Amino acid sequence: MTAGAALVVLTLAPLLAGLLSLATPTRQAMEWLQGTLVAVLLVAMGLVVGHVASGNDIVVGHLLRVDALGAFMTLMLAIVGGTGLIYALGYMGEELARGHLGYRRYRLFFCLLNLYLWAMLLAASIDNIALMWIAVEGSTLAAALLVGFERTKAALEAGWNYIILSFIGIALALFGTVLVYYAAEHVLGVSMEALSWSALRRVGPTLDPTTMKLAFVFVLIGYGTKAGVAPMHTWLPDAHAEAPTPISAMLSALMLNIALYAVLRLKNIVDQAAGTAFTAPIVIGLGLLSIAVAAVFMLIERDYKRLFAYSSIEHVGIALVGFGIGGPAGVFGGFFHMLNHALAKSTAFYAAGLVLLRHGHKMTERVTGLLRQDPAAGGGMLAAAIALAGMPPFGLFISEVLIVTAAYQRHPWIAAVFLGLLALAFATLLAQVLPMILGESLGAGQHVAGSTRRFTTSALIVNIVALSSLGFYMPGFLRELFIPMIGLFGADVAIKIP
Amino acid sequence: MTGNAMPMVPADLGSQLVNVCSMMLLVTSFAIVAQRRLSACVDLFAVQSVFLAVTAALVAFLTGIHHIYVAAGLTILIKAIIIPMILKKVIERLNVQREVAFVINIPPSLLICGALVILAFSVTEPVASLGFLLTKDSLAVALAIVLIGFFTMIARKKAVTQVVGFLMVENGLFLGATAAAYGMPLIVELGVFFDVLVAGLIIGIYTHRLQDAFDSVDVSKLTGLKE
Repeated sequence: MTAGAALVVLTLAPLLAGLLSLATPTRQAMEWLQGTLVAVLLVAMGLVVGHVASGNDIVVGHLLRVDALGAFMTLMLAIVGGTGLIYALGYMGEELARGHLGYRRYRLFFCLLNLYLWAMLLAASIDNIALMWIAVEGSTLAAALLVGFERTKAALEAGWNYIILSFIGIALALFGTVLVYYAAEHVLGVSMEALSWSALRRVGPTLDPTTMKLAFVFVLIGYGTKAGVAPMHTWLPDAHAEAPTPISAMLSALMLNIALYAVLRLKNIVDQAAGTAFTAPIVIGLGLLSIAVAAVFMLIERDYKRLFAYSSIEHVGIALVGFGIGGPAGVFGGFFHMLNHALAKSTAFYAAGLVLLRHGHKMTERVTGLLRQDPAAGGGMLAAAIALAGMPPFGLFISEVLIVTAAYQRHPWIAAVFLGLLALAFATLLAQVLPMILGESLGAGQHVAGSTRRFTTSALIVNIVALSSLGFYMPGFLRELFIPMIGLFGADVAIKIP
Repeated sequence: MTGNAMPMVPADLGSQLVNVCSMMLLVTSFAIVAQRRLSACVDLFAVQSVFLAVTAALVAFLTGIHHIYVAAGLTILIKAIIIPMILKKVIERLNVQREVAFVINIPPSLLICGALVILAFSVTEPVASLGFLLTKDSLAVALAIVLIGFFTMIARKKAVTQVVGFLMVENGLFLGATAAAYGMPLIVELGVFFDVLVAGLIIGIYTHRLQDAFDSVDVSKLTGLKE
């Protein structure tokens, strides 16, 4: 029962905080409110994850259900969303102190950010693919206002591109959802049950395979647009570059993953009906294409926020290849990759935001000696760059090795292409980022207030600690989540997790 | 679940009525693509929404699934009255009623839309046999409207026409859900309506800000962010 209550708290707290933040009178009150929200989210998430890790799904009413996959998403949303809120307190507080935005807009920013987190937490815990769609659409709407938040020409243009492309994507995903319902009605009747993923998974093998295949194509292209999968990725670099930096971090670390989550829920059902032979080639193909596109564009990118945005496309591609290859190693690799990427990419953006606050521009070549001028930002970016390039001792190295191994066992040529593209992305990312971090400092730029650094540095430290410990050590509860998640995707043997 | 009773009207007549209505939606889609005047596009969208509501009400009447009436009522209220009103206000305020700006001209546009209809019918052909007797062709028509909506979003330059395209997509989706699948559960439909309404508002806000920043809602002027 406590776990159920915790789940309800988890799905209501951000909404409440969002509404309350519109009423906060001062910056200090906002800091207390958001700090409390982070604490509540972490405690509730701990209870939910603890309960699910002991082997039981949490079910509240007919609509809320959290299984291992849902708990995994909740974990990611609460931790990265939590550091994101803390970081945003510093970043937006600095913008407020410098007079770049008024208090009303500062307040509005946190309201929207809370609603955005709320929509994603709902999406991860609703046992209904249509309501999940509504929640994902809700997060798109909040994000649409956040991307254009700075109201410069470039921000409005990026926001408009984001709106048009993600609305097209989300509409296709709804058509796919309707098709699933169309197929499921014949088995489960015209009812809510015909939309519940747990029920659909149960009756999966009896669903009409042709309809489900068609539905999957729509869902993959639709949610894939939101996940930044090439060739539907064109909104992503603009949105990441022009959004306020805390939002860039939240888009890359959370939005892409929640869209992947939606694809995986549907893939799970379609695989029951039509077999993985249908979904695997499409998923692997789009994954490889995303890595290729990202690696090439990273080479020529001159803007460090866009650079990290392309790197996100690459990592979504890597996770997709893992899920497409399947098997215990592929599936575990994919999920582990999602978690580590969320941590590493938010770290990278937190550091990039500090650079932007100091220097007021986004040109990679005009930043050097970051490690000397600002050890927190420099250290964060160094750790993130090493992790994102896929080097040990970070978790992304482990997941990439696992996916390559799995690919090699099934189709050696996929492993070859995959490794080649990874090497290219590795080289282009490091060649761009290392000169920013090392070398002589060109001066520290504008002063960043201590009241800001308090928040930004703690967000960076939490992220770096989580990121580096996952490279060495798998906590017990996480292992207990991964085993059923691997089972969910049809792998019979649980692998030895390091 | 084909056992749903169709109490008052013979099945083939009911099915023909639904087909005629959903075809009218398709026809209005073509009319929107062929339209030069911006405000007429909005009017045509309102007309299309009325047809959509009539189709939904017919399905509700023929199948006895009453909650579809609610969806039909909301369609009239939101899509035939409120959203067109907002769009008209936007057009007035921005003073853009002059003409629709084209990326692709009207005659080739119509040809492309014709091809999209054929594509929609061939894509859904293998799954049409699953459909309920009442609404066999509706899935294909719905997909055709969705595709034409996307096309409008790409092939027209003004922000308002892009919005109309987006709303056509929504209408197509709703037709798919109602006519082909006998309506999604009520809570789902309410959620979708809410999202559409908020999306409409956000797009309204954006067009306003775009106008302020660029002195134009011609989205072909948005070219600052090229590689």
